[in-house]
Amino acid sequence: MFERLRAMLMKEFLQIRRDRWAMFRLIVPMIIQMLVFGYAATFTVHHVATVVLDLDQSQASRSLISHFVASGRFDVVEAARSRAEVTHAIDNDVAVLAIVVHAGFQQDLQNGKGAPLQVIVDGTNSNTALIALGYISQIVAQFSSDEASRLMPPHASLAAPQTGISLQLQPWFNPGLEDRWFFIPGVIGSLTLLQVVSLTAFAIVREREVGTLEQIMVSPIRSVEFILGKTVPFFLIGLGDILLVSAIGILWFKVPFIGDPLVMLAGSMLFLLAAVGMGLLLSTFSKTQQQAFALNFFFVNPFFILSGFAFPIAAMPQVLQWFTLINPLRYFLVVIRAVFLKGVGFAVLWPDLTALAALAAVMLAVSVLRFRSSLDA
Amino acid sequence: MNPAQDPAVVAQGLTKRFGHFVAVDHLDLSIARGEVMGFIGPNGAGKSTTIRMFCGLVTPSAGRATVAGFDVGSQSQAVREHIGYMSQKFSLYGDLTVAENLRFFGGIYRVPQQEMAERVAFALSMAGLEGRENALVATLAGGWKQRLALGCAILHRPPVLFLDEPTSGVEPEARRKFWDLIHQLAAGGVTILVSTHYMDEAEYCNRIALIDRGKLMAVGSPGELRTRELGGELVEVACAPLGAARTALLTAPGVVEAAIFGDKLHVVLGQGGLTSETLPDFLQTHGVQTGQIRDVVPSLEDVFVRIVSRAQDARSAA
Amino acid sequence: MNLRRLLAMAYKEALQIWRDPRSLAIALIMPLMQMGLLGYGVSLDIKHVPLCVYDQENSQLSRAIDSRFQAAGWFSITHVLHSQADLRNAMNAGQCIAAVVIPVDFSRHLASTGTASIQAIFDATDVNTTNIAQGYLQGVIAQTNAQIQAQWRAAHGVQPTLIGQVNLQPSTWFNETLDSRNFIIPGVVAVILALVGAQLTSLTVSREWERGTMEQLISTPVTALEVMLGKLLPYFVVGMVDAVVCLGLAVYWFGVPMRGNLVTLFAATALFSMVILGIGYLISVRIRSQLGASQIALLVTMLPTTLLSGYTFPIDQMPAPIQALTLIVYPRYYVTILRGIFLKGSGIADLWRPLLGLLIFAVVIVYLAARAFHKRLD
Repeated sequence: MFERLRAMLMKEFLQIRRDRWAMFRLIVPMIIQMLVFGYAATFTVHHVATVVLDLDQSQASRSLISHFVASGRFDVVEAARSRAEVTHAIDNDVAVLAIVVHAGFQQDLQNGKGAPLQVIVDGTNSNTALIALGYISQIVAQFSSDEASRLMPPHASLAAPQTGISLQLQPWFNPGLEDRWFFIPGVIGSLTLLQVVSLTAFAIVREREVGTLEQIMVSPIRSVEFILGKTVPFFLIGLGDILLVSAIGILWFKVPFIGDPLVMLAGSMLFLLAAVGMGLLLSTFSKTQQQAFALNFFFVNPFFILSGFAFPIAAMPQVLQWFTLINPLRYFLVVIRAVFLKGVGFAVLWPDLTALAALAAVMLAVSVLRFRSSLDA
Repeated sequence: MNPAQDPAVVAQGLTKRFGHFVAVDHLDLSIARGEVMGFIGPNGAGKSTTIRMFCGLVTPSAGRATVAGFDVGSQSQAVREHIGYMSQKFSLYGDLTVAENLRFFGGIYRVPQQEMAERVAFALSMAGLEGRENALVATLAGGWKQRLALGCAILHRPPVLFLDEPTSGVEPEARRKFWDLIHQLAAGGVTILVSTHYMDEAEYCNRIALIDRGKLMAVGSPGELRTRELGGELVEVACAPLGAARTALLTAPGVVEAAIFGDKLHVVLGQGGLTSETLPDFLQTHGVQTGQIRDVVPSLEDVFVRIVSRAQDARSAA
Repeated sequence: MNLRRLLAMAYKEALQIWRDPRSLAIALIMPLMQMGLLGYGVSLDIKHVPLCVYDQENSQLSRAIDSRFQAAGWFSITHVLHSQADLRNAMNAGQCIAAVVIPVDFSRHLASTGTASIQAIFDATDVNTTNIAQGYLQGVIAQTNAQIQAQWRAAHGVQPTLIGQVNLQPSTWFNETLDSRNFIIPGVVAVILALVGAQLTSLTVSREWERGTMEQLISTPVTALEVMLGKLLPYFVVGMVDAVVCLGLAVYWFGVPMRGNLVTLFAATALFSMVILGIGYLISVRIRSQLGASQIALLVTMLPTTLLSGYTFPIDQMPAPIQALTLIVYPRYYVTILRGIFLKGSGIADLWRPLLGLLIFAVVIVYLAARAFHKRLD
């Protein structure tokens, strides 16, 4: 049995090496995704292009503006001289935020009537806008507080600290709020899924299409050995993928890995079993490589998008959230992120690992059954 | 020069190289109007490449060619408008119907609108596909497909037709029918160059060009080739003992070749030597009893093999 | 250029598309599927952030504050914790995105000094959600503070004063409801067009090579230009129909506001289609295997469109060198135009820059595609 298996594995690896498209499919997406998710992908608001219309030109107004600038998140790209210019700036994407200080701002502050401050946010990118608005209210609150303590005479008994409750913000697991610590573990999972499923499916369908499948079936090989021979190489390639991307993530992008490598390994292997099962299943539905390609995209794409790799599952409609329960990638991402960033182990992750195992078992069982019946046909 | 007498296809020193491999080696050929010229040769001899050069599909590495008076290198667009081509691999659209294929090629060749219906009807009847206009081409059997492909190639009444192994993989019955069509077209004045590796089909051509290893080995009508290339008349001699007869004949004047063929001898008698009449006496003197002598028509296969082996001898002698 | 030959090519291509179930599936089903998947699946709006509460004091005041978090609608309290270990476990297991810890002496501190602090702990593995949750929490606290101050002043008989108080009056333009769907769905249309267009056209020439009909075709008088235009014409029509369907879904099903000019929208869509079709054709000419062509087409259209066009990750927040790179990511221009027309009601005057970008791409790609196809076998 192992002799034949070995022969099959050798053949498979040779074919993979010679198949230019396979190599291409393996390497190029990996490089691109690592570049993009390591450097470009971000939902964080690092800097907001701001246009300022200061009609008061007072010490107070200048102090307000400098509060914004000092936060480091707002770039004043234009000092407008009229409302029309403000509108123009926002309309033409020159600025995403406009701060309009009306004439008499300083006066209102001192009079105790409360000084209105108009702030215009370009809501096109709602995520950025929402986060920016959060920063803005904080900065304005801080400014108010500073102004109040500066303006009000200190009455001992009437000292009314304006602060009230303050929040001590403690981000755990990713104190610097680094985007790439979130995305790169995601890349590990999603890339592996895409590659392993497609490679497995293609390898099998190619044999069917070319006709060598029949040839092999005529030989003494048993269907189990054939299936193993077809899936083990891609399992190994998937493992290699995971190791490679993890290594790049840790060594190059400096994503921390504080968990137990064993847990990661267990999760990886279960996930790869599920992925290989998926590829096998897809191959039973395709007679030509073209069909395999189309089916691949049709089915793997939803698993990829609806996994939590970039877009939170909690933000999806309920129906789609239920769908993610049968998505192996979802669980694997939880495992990866937990192992990398949280340092937890089996004790915490056993539900996700169990789910992965169950999914892998079901997918493999169904696909093997289908495969054997299609071979006998 | 009377333009009506100009040859339809002329090749002068036509050469094609793919890297170091010379596919077509300085081919000189001239095909007259209305002639049916056969290209015979083994696979890889350069027949398809030559035809493709005539059609403007492949650029010659050296030499030139004109088709219907247009140069294939500089006037390939005009060439295409005046030729019909059937490629070796069947190349009509399987997912289109018979009628749709015909109309497509009619449009591509800009067959005048008022003639379209008539030309399509002609092509259908020629192919025997009347009543099957709406069948998807993929569902047709081999022979029908070939005839349809021919029909698509002649919608625009081209003066020259290039058919690259049009009958390969087609049943003998269908092959015969196909050649009937070719002759029908030639009778109408169309010049046709057909390549084939079926030697029996060579008999149907006005002239044959034998191609081997990219070189033109011989050109002529089947009859000419037989006499000229074979070097003489072929006779079958019943005699005994065969071995002695053969040895003796090989020394005889004018005997080009003597070979044992089953229980008889096949002897090629050249000019000015032994004849069928004088042969028995000659053999008598060598102690061989001669029975019946009869003329045998050499197959073109014989001729071709002869030519090729002669060339091989020349190469190994060099 | 001969119109008759061109139309013959276009008609044949249309017939082939119609008869090929795969092409039909890509042209008809794929857009709808992607619209549903991306329209619903891609969202950044988390409405009920799972929140854990660890109230160490458990006083009337602290419990009142606890319920404030829930009442605001931004959070839903999923776990009430009773120890630091509980907190650790809950965070480790990912049971809450944020946790608030109210210290033991909370009320006392607040009553005496008027200040108090609450710990807000975030599972920062998801950075964006953390940022959003942070904003929500700040909002709740700010409201609470306003109320507390009023009570404090009332208790101490201090007149409410607004000295130094700034009343923030934010107004949101263009996407007033701050629905991430309005931001993402215009981009989804770009993704779908890129995907469908490239997949369909990448097959057109390579299919003829694989089936052998190409040799026959180039032996005819049809010119390279006629082949290209004739082949692309039906795909252009298909693309525009798909665009209409997707844009219609965006407006009527997903409710994305449409404020701009339809003519500009279709002009931009036509330009973008030309770029996509040109790229698909170019791939198809260069790569004679259908499978290879499809894969490269996917790579060259989907990847840049989904990652670098600004459809999900905002370009203006990317590092400068990558922002420069996106100048050659052609979908970027179309996404900008789509958002401008949908949400801002922009017209040609505002969008001339991205329109010009698209135009340049269209011209260059079509030129390259036309030149790439040779009516020769060698």
